[in-house]
Amino acid sequence: MSAVRSKHLKEISVGEELPRFDLTVTATVIVAGALASRDFMPAHHDRDFATGQGAPDIFMNILTTNAYVSRFVTDWAGPEAMVRKIAIRLGVPAVPGQTLTFTGTVATATAKEVEIDIKASNEFGDHATGTVTLTVPV
Amino acid sequence: MAAKHTDPIREKLEHFVGKPLGSPEPQVAPDAVNLPMIRHWVDAMDDRNPVYLYEDAAKRTRFGGIVAPPAMLQAWTMGRPKIQGIAERGGSPDDIAFDNPITALDEEGFVATLATNSELEFERYLRPGDVLRSVNILESISTQKKTGLGLGYFITWVTTYTDGNGDVVGRQLFRILKFKPGSGAADA
Repeated sequence: MSAVRSKHLKEISVGEELPRFDLTVTATVIVAGALASRDFMPAHHDRDFATGQGAPDIFMNILTTNAYVSRFVTDWAGPEAMVRKIAIRLGVPAVPGQTLTFTGTVATATAKEVEIDIKASNEFGDHATGTVTLTVPV
Repeated sequence: MAAKHTDPIREKLEHFVGKPLGSPEPQVAPDAVNLPMIRHWVDAMDDRNPVYLYEDAAKRTRFGGIVAPPAMLQAWTMGRPKIQGIAERGGSPDDIAFDNPITALDEEGFVATLATNSELEFERYLRPGDVLRSVNILESISTQKKTGLGLGYFITWVTTYTDGNGDVVGRQLFRILKFKPGSGAADA
């Protein structure tokens, strides 16, 4: 594994936007995430069960959403970043066939912590909005 | 002291507040934090951060060695599921029933559930070999709210995760809305 560059505090400025990340959400993405997180709730793998509960299709579980939010931020900040907090408000479901777009903006950047306002949205609207708090090397 | 509520349903839920939600015993992770489950996770999420799998790369970082992806916190103490009958149980991983406000609201017709908030906090990243325990405490139940989806109650609980030394490694605040379908906006 080649070394991956990590961002230092001086390279991060308030208002900076993270590179947008478009996740192609398929049934496989949803099922792979649910099973890796040991979440066997049928709404995350069984379409008949999900639609029977009033959902449009199987939908992403929250652990997977948190996993992608974390990845979105550390893909930008690098392997030295430590995630301290992931606080999200949950909105519309992430379903197969819709791209989930992650965007983020640096809200604060201090030696104590870096806060990123993040949003993941699809055709339905906002799937998750919130804040990821990191510490990065000074 | 229990607060008095004029809403008889809410009044019936008061005794759950501040108590363990579900099992009164801590959930103990069936497996210690381990590389195969980490590998499964990073492949599923296509997360290529080297600190999760590559000892040499991880050693050169502040972590000093392999650490588990932080968002896996909740996965380690997930109960072992009984696959047979899981759909009939509404997705519940096992059939051990505990008196709790969620089933109490089901019985009152507030059968639908919507997760609204998740707040994960990490005191430290986990390392292979860590054995986690978690305890859920019901933090609050709202008064009855009129939402776009229908009448309902917000239920908030906090899960605290500890390691083998009893030190807190992370927490999760989780909030759901339990609502009565069809009691709200026309398009709900």
